[in-house]
Amino acid sequence: MVKLGKQARSVSIVGVGCTPFKNFEDHPETKGMSEGDAFGYAALEAIEDAGLAPRDIQYFYHGAANPFMIGDSLTPNMQVADWFGVRGLGSVHHSEACCTGYVALQEAVQAVASGTYDIVLSGAVDLAASLPVVNAPGCFRRDFPLEEMLPSIPMVYDRAYGRPLDSAFGISFDNWINKYRWEYDLSAEDIDAALNGMSKSLRRDAVLNPLAFYESDFDDAAKANGLEDADAFLSSMFNPKVTQYLRVTGFETKCDGAAALVVMPTEMAVARGYDHQPIDVLGTGAAAFEGATPDNEYMGTKEGARQVYELTGVSPDEIDLLFVNDFFLAGDIVAAEEVGYIPRGEAWQYARDGRCGFDGDKPINTHGGRCNFGHAHGASGVADIVEAVRQMRGTAGAAQMPNVPRTTFLRGFGGGQNIRCQILRTHE
Amino acid sequence: MLLTDMEPIVKRFYDGVAKGEYWGRKCVECGAIEFPPHLGCNACGCGHTEWVQLSGHGTLESFVVPGIQNDKPYLKAVEPYGYGKVKLDEGPEYTFVIFCGKKKVVKRLQERLYKDHEVIGVHAKPIERVTPLKPGSDQTVTWSELCFELDEVAEA
Repeated sequence: MVKLGKQARSVSIVGVGCTPFKNFEDHPETKGMSEGDAFGYAALEAIEDAGLAPRDIQYFYHGAANPFMIGDSLTPNMQVADWFGVRGLGSVHHSEACCTGYVALQEAVQAVASGTYDIVLSGAVDLAASLPVVNAPGCFRRDFPLEEMLPSIPMVYDRAYGRPLDSAFGISFDNWINKYRWEYDLSAEDIDAALNGMSKSLRRDAVLNPLAFYESDFDDAAKANGLEDADAFLSSMFNPKVTQYLRVTGFETKCDGAAALVVMPTEMAVARGYDHQPIDVLGTGAAAFEGATPDNEYMGTKEGARQVYELTGVSPDEIDLLFVNDFFLAGDIVAAEEVGYIPRGEAWQYARDGRCGFDGDKPINTHGGRCNFGHAHGASGVADIVEAVRQMRGTAGAAQMPNVPRTTFLRGFGGGQNIRCQILRTHE
Repeated sequence: MLLTDMEPIVKRFYDGVAKGEYWGRKCVECGAIEFPPHLGCNACGCGHTEWVQLSGHGTLESFVVPGIQNDKPYLKAVEPYGYGKVKLDEGPEYTFVIFCGKKKVVKRLQERLYKDHEVIGVHAKPIERVTPLKPGSDQTVTWSELCFELDEVAEA
C-alpha cells in the first residue's frame, strides 16, 4: 500500500491563466488560433498573475491529450516555448489524456518541492473542437466530425485486452452509477432526475462564467424547442439517453482551450508579498486502473483519496469545494460520496435538488464542468485548478461562492483511467 | 534476458481462445490467477507467474445495458448482449461482453443480479473477428474475441 512522503518544501500556486473554452473557429476573435497562440496566451496570463515575466520561469511542463492527432505534432513543448518568450528553457511534454491537467500540477509541484527549481510553469492546451489541416500553417483548422473522433476514443484503452475484448469502452460510462443505483435501491427515474438536476446547476454556473462554452441555459433550449422549461427539455426526445443512464447532456462538450499555472516555494511566495493569497498544494494521491479493470473509477478514486487524506491529515468535512472530472456526468454524484464530500446515499438527492451549484451547500465544478464549461481534454484539469484558485481568492466573478472556500478537493480522472486526488488550501 | 527467455503472452492467449482453450498465468507465490494473462501478479505484486489452463466458466458479478453510445453492431448481430464483470470459477475477475439470448433477458438481468442476488452462470463464447490489415486493405487478420454467454442460453 502506497504511503506518500512529505514534500521537501511546501509549494504554492501564485499565478493562473485560462483562455475561453470555446470552439475557436466559431468566434472571429479566435478563428485561426494555433496551439502555440493558445498556450502562449494562457501562459502569459499566469505569469503576469504571478507578478513575474517570462524570463523568471526556470522550467515548464506542457500537457496535451492527443498532440499527434489534434495537434499534428510529436514535440509540442518544443513548439510552444517561443510563443511566451522562454526560448531555450528546459521543458517536457506529457500526455495522460483527460488526466493531463492534474498531472500537470503534480509534476510542477514535485519539481519545486524537490528543490530542483524555484519557479515552474505548467500548462496544457488542446484544440479539441477541430482538426489541423496537415501540412498547412497552424492557423488552418477544419471540422472534427464524430466519425473521425470516435475511432480515437478507444485508443485510451489497453490494446492487448481491454480494447479488443470490448471490455473497457462498454462499461466506462455507467458501471459506477449502476452499482450505486442498486446499492441504494433507486429507480432509473431517480438517477435520471439526479443527473438532470446536476445538469441544471452546472449549466447555470457555466452561463455565469465568460470563459465557458455555453452562453444560454436549458430554459432557453426548452423555448427554442417549444417546451415549457429546462426540466421538460432535459427529459425530452431532444436530449435522448445514449447509454443506459446518460443523456446527451451527460457527456462532455468538446472544445478548444488552454490553461496554465505558476508554482513556487510557499516561503518565496510569502516573502514576495502577493496581494492575493498563495494557494498551497497540500498533496496529490495517485492511482491508475486500466479501463477494463472492474470498478476502475471507484477503485482509483478510493485509493487516490485515501493517499491524499493520509498525507495531509485533512478531514473530508474540511472540504469547501469539490471538482470532479465529469466527462461522464454521473462521476459528480458517486465521486462526491467516495471522497466524503456528501454523505453516502445522499448525493443523488443533493444533485436532484440543485444543492451542488456555486451558491448551494455542496458546490461541485463551479465553472460548469466538462459537460457545460467545455472539455478541452488535456487542458481541462488545469482549467479546474484555475477556477479553484479564483474561487479561493474570491475573484470568481458572478459564480463566486458566497462563502469563499478555503480548502478544495480535485478528483482528477481520465485516460482510461488515471486518477489524481489533490487538495488545495489557501495559505494563512 | 535472451530471446529464449521470452514469449508473446498476448498471442498465446488469443491462439488459445481460437481453439477453445483459456490460458491464464498463476502466481508462483500467492497462487492468484491473471486472466487475461500478464507477466506479473497484480494480486500480490510478485514478478513471477506460470501458465495455467482455465475452465472458461464463471459467474456474472455486474451488468450494464448498452445504449447507442456504447453499442457495437457486430456484437448485436450475434445476439442481445450487455457488458459485465465475470468472476471465473478459478478466481480472476475481468469485464467481458455478455451474450444473453433474448432482449427480455437483458432487461431483467440487473434486477435478478442486484435485487434477487441470483447466482448467474456464464461460459466462454468466442466470436470470430476479421480486421483489415490497414484501412481499405483487402488483406485481413482473423482473431477470436473472448465473450461470455449466460449458461441458461446454452441450456435452453
